Amino acid sequence: MDDIDAMFSDLLGEMDLLTQSLGQETEPPEPLPSTRQEINFSVGFTGLNASLHDLEDNDLDALMADLVADLSETEKKLEAEIQGLNAPPSSSSDLPPPPKGLGVQPASSITSPPSPGNNRSSSVTTPSSSTSSPLPPPQSSKPTMEEIEAQMKADKIKLALEKLKEAKVKKLVVKVVMNDGSSKTLMVDERQTVREVLDNLFEKTHCDCNVDWSLCETNHELQLERTFEDHENLVEPLLAWTRDSENKVLFQERKDKFEVFKNPQNFYLWKKDKKTLKDMKDKDKELLVQENFCGTSIIVPDLEGVLHLKEDGKKSWKQRLFQLRASGIYYVPKGKTKSSRDLICFVQFDNVNVYYGKDVKNRYKAPTDFCFVLKHPQIQKESQYIKYLCCDDAWTMNLWVTGIRIAKYGASLHENFKTAERKAAVSAAVWTNRSTPSSSSPSTPSPTIRAKTATQANGHAPKPQPGPPHQGIGNLPAPPPLNEILPPPPPDPILPPPPPSLASKPPLSNFPPPPLSMDGLPPPPPPPPMDNFSEDPPDFLPPPPPPTSYSSLPPPPPAPAANFGGNINKSLPPPPPNPEFLPPPPPDPVFVASGAPPPPPPPPPPAAVSAPRPAAQQKKMPPAPPKRTTPTLQGGGGGGGDFMSELMSAMRKRTDQ
Amino acid sequence: MAAWDLSVKVEDLGPDAPPVTISVASDLHVGGVILKLVEKTQMQRNWSDHALWWDQKQRWLLRTAWTLEKYGIHADARLLFMPQHKPLKLGLPSGKTVMLKACFSNPVFQTVMGICRMLNIRHPEELSLLRPVEEKKKKKDKDLTEEIYDLTEVPLSSVSRPCLYNGMPAHFADSEQMEGVYKMLSVTQPPPAPEVIAKQYRPASVVDKSHIHGRWLDSSRCLMQQGIQENDRLWLRFKYYSFYDIEPKYDVVRLTQLYEQARWAILLEDIDCTEEEMMLFGALQYHINKVALSEPQMMSSNAALDDLESALQSLEVKMEGDSSSASDLLENMTAPELNDYLKIFRPKRLTLKGYKQYWFKFQDTSISYFKSKEESIGEPIQQINLKGCEVAPDVNVAAQKFLIRLLIPAPEGMNEVYLRCENEQQYAQWMAGCRLASKGKSLADSSFQSEIQSIRSFLAMQKTNSGSSNNSAASDESINTHSLVSPRYHKKYKPKQLTPRILDAYQNVAQLSLTDALMRFLQIWQALPDFGLSYVVVRFKGSRKDEVLGIAPNRLIRIDLGVGDVVKTWRYNNMKQWNVNWDIKQMAIEFEGNVNIAFGCVTADCKIVHEFIGGYIFMSTRSREKSDTLNEELFHKLTGGHEAL
Repeated sequence: MDDIDAMFSDLLGEMDLLTQSLGQETEPPEPLPSTRQEINFSVGFTGLNASLHDLEDNDLDALMADLVADLSETEKKLEAEIQGLNAPPSSSSDLPPPPKGLGVQPASSITSPPSPGNNRSSSVTTPSSSTSSPLPPPQSSKPTMEEIEAQMKADKIKLALEKLKEAKVKKLVVKVVMNDGSSKTLMVDERQTVREVLDNLFEKTHCDCNVDWSLCETNHELQLERTFEDHENLVEPLLAWTRDSENKVLFQERKDKFEVFKNPQNFYLWKKDKKTLKDMKDKDKELLVQENFCGTSIIVPDLEGVLHLKEDGKKSWKQRLFQLRASGIYYVPKGKTKSSRDLICFVQFDNVNVYYGKDVKNRYKAPTDFCFVLKHPQIQKESQYIKYLCCDDAWTMNLWVTGIRIAKYGASLHENFKTAERKAAVSAAVWTNRSTPSSSSPSTPSPTIRAKTATQANGHAPKPQPGPPHQGIGNLPAPPPLNEILPPPPPDPILPPPPPSLASKPPLSNFPPPPLSMDGLPPPPPPPPMDNFSEDPPDFLPPPPPPTSYSSLPPPPPAPAANFGGNINKSLPPPPPNPEFLPPPPPDPVFVASGAPPPPPPPPPPAAVSAPRPAAQQKKMPPAPPKRTTPTLQGGGGGGGDFMSELMSAMRKRTDQ
Repeated sequence: MAAWDLSVKVEDLGPDAPPVTISVASDLHVGGVILKLVEKTQMQRNWSDHALWWDQKQRWLLRTAWTLEKYGIHADARLLFMPQHKPLKLGLPSGKTVMLKACFSNPVFQTVMGICRMLNIRHPEELSLLRPVEEKKKKKDKDLTEEIYDLTEVPLSSVSRPCLYNGMPAHFADSEQMEGVYKMLSVTQPPPAPEVIAKQYRPASVVDKSHIHGRWLDSSRCLMQQGIQENDRLWLRFKYYSFYDIEPKYDVVRLTQLYEQARWAILLEDIDCTEEEMMLFGALQYHINKVALSEPQMMSSNAALDDLESALQSLEVKMEGDSSSASDLLENMTAPELNDYLKIFRPKRLTLKGYKQYWFKFQDTSISYFKSKEESIGEPIQQINLKGCEVAPDVNVAAQKFLIRLLIPAPEGMNEVYLRCENEQQYAQWMAGCRLASKGKSLADSSFQSEIQSIRSFLAMQKTNSGSSNNSAASDESINTHSLVSPRYHKKYKPKQLTPRILDAYQNVAQLSLTDALMRFLQIWQALPDFGLSYVVVRFKGSRKDEVLGIAPNRLIRIDLGVGDVVKTWRYNNMKQWNVNWDIKQMAIEFEGNVNIAFGCVTADCKIVHEFIGGYIFMSTRSREKSDTLNEELFHKLTGGHEAL
């Protein structure tokens, strides 16, 4: 036991760390328009508290939702894992239901987050289940300890380790600026790729999902801009931003992103006359893509030309004859031939990214404004290590930037394009029933699982919550994830044993009443199962809920921001709006159509969620959607606790006011 | 019909034996002639491979049902009765020589198919035979000692229906000696000694390169017709640089030989590359050699074992996965510790201060330093995160200088930091740590130990290499880095100077498996701008000077000899038709858009150029064919020229 305790206290320590990191890295969500303006924060927060307090309510809600979702996911996964380990025969039946908790948790401060288990877990439940939700309320925790078997102990250790690992997963709250200048706030974890975030944004917006949609990064200080590649992780580059940075992430259509696959001749046969290029037959274009991207080796367009160079922090620009090769950019030294062996390596691509430079004529007295820039992604300010290259025209600049991307990313670019195309095709065909490639198929109750469930069910099955939305949900194949989403703190209430059999699918609907209510807050609005639902699907197996279900839903609270509307609708329970908060907008039919039916992708934007709920209830978030598609671990599990309690207190404060 | 005497020389009777004379009539078919011959010789042996060769007309009489009249044979015909398969010395891309029986009577295309079947190389259409470059005769003695791998005993019948035994064709499983031959074919050769590289013929210009392509044999005619004699020496090479469907599991020999050809193309500067690329090629060669030595069993792949192996591997992975939460994590938490006194220097900042000693500690991807070991519990003086940084060695073993140069990215730019280590051991550890950290990995990463190992072996190279080369690359520590790069760099750098540069490139490939490393080598080779170009000197119609035509897998390019620039590019998929005027040896090609070009060939027969173009067009049709069978007919149609008609 001592060991376990020690383990857990370690775990807690880790959680603290996590929370801190969260706080620091979080980008402040955009404040809602109507509400206070003071809230405008800049990116860096001094501390968790500051950041939390500064957060808009809706942001908080959204954030919570995300966090909870994460937790639940983790837990689910854990449990599944554990279950696998434990022989089904586990004595679980003996186990006392839910509360078993962890003796470990004594530290009440940790409190946690709450996630009562996920359906899956519940169904699966293993004795460990209790363990799985380590964070459950402190009170319940100790009593049952004695009964736990040695195996459970082992499981716990494992769990703790897992959590530790999880706790290290970084998450950022990212504000994405839309085309129209509005913005959305998302929670992104470090394992998510840009593609996943884009998919997420597709769910939240009503764009046409064409392949040109991109996430771009702008560097305000350096006046640079680049498109993130779909396979990149989003968090990493954002971590390089300085605290006071005015950099932005933009969501916009970029024609140049995949132009090379649409008109490869413009890059691979750029020397030919324009007319030939324009008249190129589709068949020939295809052939070009084949030749250059589908062979054993990726072929980089052979670019060569005189460019103006500014480097080493010098002010002057000098001309050189540059050549692009798969291995880097080279130039021809003075008085030498163009033969390969004489070339001098100017830069290799391992450590630099390519950006478009803006306003270089003014800023640096550049010969033209068609400038691309090579720099280490971490460099954020003026530095001699930034290399500026100017081309004579936009066309040439485009050639070089695309060529460099091909050399740097190779086959990934083509993969990205194919994925984007598929995505566009799918979305084009209205989302009728989007089958989610759910890795989570397990969620569907399989006979075996059930059996197990029966034994262990008590532990964590999520309790069904009667929510208006549920009905719709009920029909749906399971949105398991919701359970996980449980509202934070209120431990006991939440724990109520979930119905065993149902657990697997319906769990979502059953949310435990939000803990917040405990605080005396007005009854929380029913959790928006819908949200989860909609969002979860990707991860989880359950088939996407038919649109119809939505209709059955309670009227969605309107989202303040039009954009968000989609999410909101789904999530919202009838809004008991606080006066302070914006009145919920009427649900948009639109949203339903677009967003709702198809299960939305994973992470719900916090903002959206929050908006709907009245302040009081905000806390209870709608079940957060599980964001990552196939998340193996979820991060927040452990860390969540702390963060959660912080969140709670922040919210409380607000409500008190 | 009147009978007349036909005299036939029977090779099996010996070179000095008089011709055998038989009495024939003009309506006797060739089969009958052979029957009579065999009866007359009274020799008991298997004559099934024998056939008649008509010397004056340079043709085989292979249609046994045809009569002598139909062939137009009269009493003055000089006929030779001999086996169709004869031994040939074949130089492989790896530089090794095998002796095997090749078919002298079928078109070379089919001969190559037979050879490839024997050697277990798939897609024989990509290879062909060419006459070797004459070797300088100075080293006659050396020629004599050259090892020849003998495959002449392989029964032809077994080759025709290859069955795999232990992953290799059954004929290689007969004896240990044969297995040795297979090993030679399927395992990469150690890096050649620098002198060997230096001694080889290196084309110095495009024109030189174009001469090599004049040596390709005509694939629609047989060896006998092209003057190849028994025991002659030919080279087997990949001719069409369009490698279809490389599957490491089935292509062990093909992949190995392809790598060898690529490696020699790089070493002999047959294809140009930049210095950075050369270093990477060098690093890959070093790595491939190292891995091939350590896991040779992988190469003599055997299907059953392969399966077993992969099954075991996946099992291993599974177990790892299962235990990952516990043991793995535990391991993570018990990552190797690395802390020590090192000296640090920041060149840009406080230039005057020089190196200062601190207590350094490696944590995750960061290093922290403290005033002393005792104070290491508190706040570090500074913590430096190495993720994304550039790591460069600055080492001189003789001078006992072990410097790690770090270029650390920060929002304001890159910060230069030097760490000075006391000795080799310390250096290897910290260097390995820095390299991993720069890639975002912690010391707990499984590659930490191997990284240390490779750094140490490179250090060892620096120690031993000062002298000239050691021919035997027995242990990887003793490789002379000059063996890994072209002679140009022998002059430019000493092995000692080369070592850190190759090590630098090596860090990016050090974790590759053998197959991945081979594939990477080929990929980088294929990504070179000049890859796949075969040159021929031509004279364009209406032009007075020689120019060079480059033939690539997807296009033709016209190169100005004076400047070396590409003047014009034509792609095959725009080609409408091409014609050869065999009388004036001129090729005329018509492209879409009314573009017509015509040229005569200077350094190669225009049949060779014709075959190259037709061959590449044939190669491009392969992907559409589902079946594995080779469409020989189409190949002949596209490459045969007038003979195909």
